[in-house]
Amino acid sequence: MNAEKELTGKIFDIQGFSLQDGPGIRTTIFFKGCPLRCPWCHSPESQAFKSQLSFLAAKCVGTESCADACVKACPENAVEYGELKDGVKPGEKKQLIHVNREKCTECWKCADACYPKALSKCGTDYTLDEVVKIALRDKMFYEDTGGVTLSGGEVLSQPEFALELLKRLKEEGINTAVDTTGFVKWEVIESILPYTDLFLYDLKNMNSELHKAVIGVPCELILENAKKIAAAGGKLQIRIPFIPMFNDSEENLRLTGQFVKELGDAVTMIQLLPYHNLGSVKYTRIMDNPKIFEATPPSDKKVQWAKEILESYGIKVGIH
Amino acid sequence: MYEFSPVTERIQVLREKIRNRVIPVDSVRAVAITESYKRNDNKIPMIKRAYALKDVLEAMPLQVEEHELMVGSLGAEFCGSSIYPEWDGESWIPHYVEDGIYKKGEDGFYHTPKDDVGPLVFTEQTYRDLAGIKEFWKDHRATVPIREWQPQGFELFQALRMSSYTVEKDAITSPVGHLTPGHEKIIKVGYKALRDQAQNWIDEHEGDLMADNFSKNVFYSAVVIVCDAVTEYIKRYAMVCKDEAGKTVNEKRRNELLKMADSLEWISENPARNFWEACQAAVLYQLVLQLEAGYPALSFGRFDQYTWPFLKKDLKAGSITREDAQEIVDSVFLKLHSLYRVFPPIVTASTGVNTYYHTTIGGVDPETGEDASNPITFMVLESLGRLKLHDPTISLRVNSKTPDKIWECALATSKLVGGLPLFQNDDVIIPSLQKEVGFELKDARDYSLIGCQEIVGSGNDFPAPNGYNPPHCSIHYGTVLAMALNDGKNPVNGVQSPIHTGFLYEMNSIEDVKEAFEKIARYGLHWLVSMNNYTEYLSQWIISHPLLSISMEGCMESGKDIVQGGCKYNSFGGTATGLATIVDSLSAIKYMCFDNKKCTTRELYDALMANWEGYEPLRQQILNEVPHYGNGDPEVDRFMTWVQELYVRLCSECSSARSKKYKSGLYGATDHINQGYRTWATPDGRKFGEPIADAASPAQGRDRNGPAAIFKSACCFDHHKYMNGMALNIRMHPSVMSNDEGTAKLRDVTKNYFKNGGLEVQYNVIDSATLKEAQKNPEEYKDLVVRIAGFSAYFVDLNTDQQNDIISRHENMI
Repeated sequence: MNAEKELTGKIFDIQGFSLQDGPGIRTTIFFKGCPLRCPWCHSPESQAFKSQLSFLAAKCVGTESCADACVKACPENAVEYGELKDGVKPGEKKQLIHVNREKCTECWKCADACYPKALSKCGTDYTLDEVVKIALRDKMFYEDTGGVTLSGGEVLSQPEFALELLKRLKEEGINTAVDTTGFVKWEVIESILPYTDLFLYDLKNMNSELHKAVIGVPCELILENAKKIAAAGGKLQIRIPFIPMFNDSEENLRLTGQFVKELGDAVTMIQLLPYHNLGSVKYTRIMDNPKIFEATPPSDKKVQWAKEILESYGIKVGIH
Repeated sequence: MYEFSPVTERIQVLREKIRNRVIPVDSVRAVAITESYKRNDNKIPMIKRAYALKDVLEAMPLQVEEHELMVGSLGAEFCGSSIYPEWDGESWIPHYVEDGIYKKGEDGFYHTPKDDVGPLVFTEQTYRDLAGIKEFWKDHRATVPIREWQPQGFELFQALRMSSYTVEKDAITSPVGHLTPGHEKIIKVGYKALRDQAQNWIDEHEGDLMADNFSKNVFYSAVVIVCDAVTEYIKRYAMVCKDEAGKTVNEKRRNELLKMADSLEWISENPARNFWEACQAAVLYQLVLQLEAGYPALSFGRFDQYTWPFLKKDLKAGSITREDAQEIVDSVFLKLHSLYRVFPPIVTASTGVNTYYHTTIGGVDPETGEDASNPITFMVLESLGRLKLHDPTISLRVNSKTPDKIWECALATSKLVGGLPLFQNDDVIIPSLQKEVGFELKDARDYSLIGCQEIVGSGNDFPAPNGYNPPHCSIHYGTVLAMALNDGKNPVNGVQSPIHTGFLYEMNSIEDVKEAFEKIARYGLHWLVSMNNYTEYLSQWIISHPLLSISMEGCMESGKDIVQGGCKYNSFGGTATGLATIVDSLSAIKYMCFDNKKCTTRELYDALMANWEGYEPLRQQILNEVPHYGNGDPEVDRFMTWVQELYVRLCSECSSARSKKYKSGLYGATDHINQGYRTWATPDGRKFGEPIADAASPAQGRDRNGPAAIFKSACCFDHHKYMNGMALNIRMHPSVMSNDEGTAKLRDVTKNYFKNGGLEVQYNVIDSATLKEAQKNPEEYKDLVVRIAGFSAYFVDLNTDQQNDIISRHENMI
C-alpha cells in the first residue's frame, strides 16, 4: 500500500466539462511529457517531461503592486524586470517581469511568491487519490456515456501511473478513455486494455518517412498498435489533426480511410481536428523565442471535402 | 440542427418597423386620468379607479397599422406609450425638457438624446400637458401617506442604507403587479358574462347589504364599470378596422380587415371562437390592464396552453394552416414587445427596453400531469429565434418527459437570442409549490413565470414576489456583511445600527463571523418586510384593481379585489441576489485568518476599511489562492449551504396580514450592479463600488472548472425552498453548440442538473471578443442579445459598466 501511495503522475491540467475528448460529459486529465514533437502542437506545455516555469503576462499586476515579490523571492536573480505595459488607467504603466531561463534553477520560489499566479509551476505531481478525488467531483454528470479521459502529452509515457489510475477509475464504475499517440510499446497498451473503454487514437500521416521527418518518429509502430488494439477487442476513436501541407492530400486521406476501414467494428468514429493557431500564444509562456508553426487554418470547405472522402469508406466522421 | 422556418414578408416589415421605432409618448392618458381623478375626487377609491379606467379608455385614439394582424397600442399612436401620473406624477419628461436634455428638433418635436436607450419623441402639447398636471399630483399620488408618516425606528433603518428602500423618493413607484392574470378566463368567458355575474349579484342584493356584503357591492359595482368600459373600447377597434377596410384597395387586406372587425366586435363581449380571436383577446386584455395601471411584470401566462385548444380546432376544421398560425404567433409577440411602458433613462440604461411580459411555454397538463408541449410551443420559440426578439422573456418549462425535439429547438433558440428561453424545472417546482406555498396539485402543475424569474400560479395567485414595493425587495447582504465585521456600522456612511456585533479583529472563529452576519441580516430583513406591510395596509384601501380581479380565480366568487386577498392563493416574498459574494468572503476570512494564518483579522479588517488601498498583495492572494464558490469544492460550498439555510429561515420569520408565506428567491436582474455601487469592500477582494455576484451564480470570474462544477456547487442547497424563483446564469462560448453533438451534450448536462434538484438555468452563448467588438461598433451589433440575470436585453442598449460586467464573467470555454 505504501508503495502505491507514493506513486505520482505529472499532470499539467485537469479540465471539467470537456465535450470533445470522447463521448458524453468528461473530465480530462492532461499528462505531462510527450515523445513526439508535432510542430503544430497547441499544448506546448505538454511536451517536456519535467515541470516548467510558466509566465502569463496578462495576469501580472506589475512589480509596483506586489512589491517585487517574485524578484525578491528568486535566489538566482533569474527574475528580471521586463517590458512596461499599459495599465487600466490612462497613462498608467505596469512593470512586468522577465524570466532569465539560463539562470533559472526551477526552485519555484517565485511562483510561490506570485500572488496573482502570473508565475506558476506547470506540471504538478499528483497522487492517485488526488486525481481520483477530482475526477469524481463531476461524477453526477457522467451518466452512461461520459466519464474520464486521460490525455496529454502522451499518457502512456507514464505507464505505471496511467495503469493504476485507470484501475481505480474502473473500480469507481467510471467510463475511461485514453488519448494516445500510439507511439508506445505494445506491452504498455496491452496492460491498460482491460481498463480502457475507448482509445482516442491519433493517425497523423500514413507516410512513415514524412511522419518521421516532421514529427520525429516513424508511424509503423503506431499503425501496428492500432491493429492490435482492434484485434484484441478494444474500441478506437480515430483522431486526425488536419494540418495544411502535411496530411491534407487526397492520397493520405484515402490511405487513412482504407486503413481505418480495415480496423472494422473496433472504430467508433473518426474525429477530424482542423488545425487552429490558438495554441501559438502558449509558447512564450514557457520559453523565449519559440519557433512557432505558421499556417493558415484550412477552410470549412476543405475540411468538408476531407470529411466526405473519409466518409466514403463507410466511417462516421465528426469535425471538432 | 433544428431548422427554423422562413419569416413572411409582412412580418419582416413589421419587425423592422418595431425594432427601429422611436417611441411616440403622449399625454392623452395622463390628462384623462387627471381630469377623472379631479371629477371623482370625493368618490370611494375603488369606484374612482374604475371610472379612471373608463375615462382613459374613452380618451385613447385608436388605429390599425398597415400589415397588422393584431391591433393595440399603449399610446395615441402606433407603438406609442403613456404616462402614469398616479405613480409618476408629471413624470420626468417636463424636467428633462426644462433642463435642456430633451431638445426640440427641426421637425418641431421633442427628441431624447441620441444615445438614450428606447428613444422617445413627443410634442410641445404633450410637454405642456405634463407640466400642467404637476400641481394636482403632488398630493394625490399613492405614495403620499407613506411619505407623511412612518413607524418608530424607521428613520434609522433608512439611514443605514441596507436596502434601496427610502421614503425620500417614492416608496410606491407602481402598483404591485408581478402576477399572471387569467387570460384563459377572459378568452373563454368573455366580458359580458363577467359583467352579468356582477350585475346579477348587485340586483339580488339591492337594499340588503349586510355583513361584508357592502364591500362586495362596491367591488361588483366597479366590475360592471370596467367591463362596460373594455367592451366599448374593443368595439371601437372593430369600427377602426371596418373604416380602414373601406379605405383599402387591396382586396385581400380589405377582407382581412373586415374579418378582424367582425372578430373584434364579437370578442368585445363574448368568448373567443377561433385561434386569432383567442390571441387578440389575450393581447387586448394585456393592453387594457397596462392602460389601467401600468403594472410592472405583468406576465402573459402559459400562452401555448391557453391558445392551443383553439388552434387545434381550427387546424382540424381546415380553417387555418400552420404557416398562418406562425404568422399570428409572430404578430402576437411583436405586438407585445411594442406595448411598452416608457421609463426614465436611469431605468432603461440598465434594463434596456423590456416589457416584462414574461411568457411561459411547455410544461405539463394540469389535470393529467403529462407533458403538454404542443405545436405552439415550437411556434413561440420560432418567433423568438427568427425575429431575434429578446423581449418578452420566454421561459420553457421542462420535465423528465419533455421531448428531445423541444430541447433541440430551445437550445437552437438560445444560440440565436442570447439567454432565451430560460429553462425551468417542473420536477422541482411542482412538488415545491404544493409543499411550500400550499398549492393544489392541478394549480401547481399550471404554474407560470413572471418578471425576472418569479414562480406564480396562473390566474389564481396574488404572489407579490417582490412585496408591495417592487423595486425594494432585497436587503443588500453585502452591506450586511460589511456591517457585521464593523460592529454593526455601515462603513459607507458611518451610520451605526442598534446592533453591536463587535469588530472582525475581535472575532476568534468563523462561527463568530457567521453569528454577527445573522444578527444584522435579521434586523434588516425584518425592517424591510415591516415596511412592505405598511404599503400592503395602504394598498388595501386606496389601490384596488377591479379589471385585474375579474380574471383571477377567487375574486369574482368572493366579491373581493386581489389586494384584499380575493385570490385563491396569496403570498409574498423577496430575493437575495449575489450570496456567492458572502460565501467567498467567509471562505477568505477562514482561509486567510483562521486556517492558514496568512494574515491577522486586524490586517484584513484594516485592508477592508482602506478599501484595499495599499493592500494589493493581500487582495491578490485572496483572489487567487482562496477557494471560491462555483468550483464544486465542498469546503466552500458548505458556506453556501449555511447562508442559504439562514436566508430561508429568516424569510420564514416574516408574514403579512394577507399572507403567512414570505417566499425566498435568488434572482435580481441588474440589481447586483446597483447593490455593488453601495456596498463597501468585502473580504473576497471586491472593492467598494464593484458589482456583487449576480443572482444564484458564482461571483464573476471566480468559477474556473466549467458548468458541471457550477451545477455541482449549485446543488449544495435545496432549491425546493426557492418558490420565489432563482436565476443561474452560465456563459457559453458559441463553440459549445457548434455542432449537434455539443448541443446534445449541453442538453444532457442540463437534464442531469435538473435531475439532481436544479431549479433553473439560462445560457448566454456568446464570446468576449464579440462583446468587445460590439462595444466599439454598436451599430453593427444591434441584434446581439445578452441576458443579465433574469431578463435579456440588446447588448448595445446597456451602459458601459454593465457591458464590462458581462465581459468579465468567466467564459466556459471548452
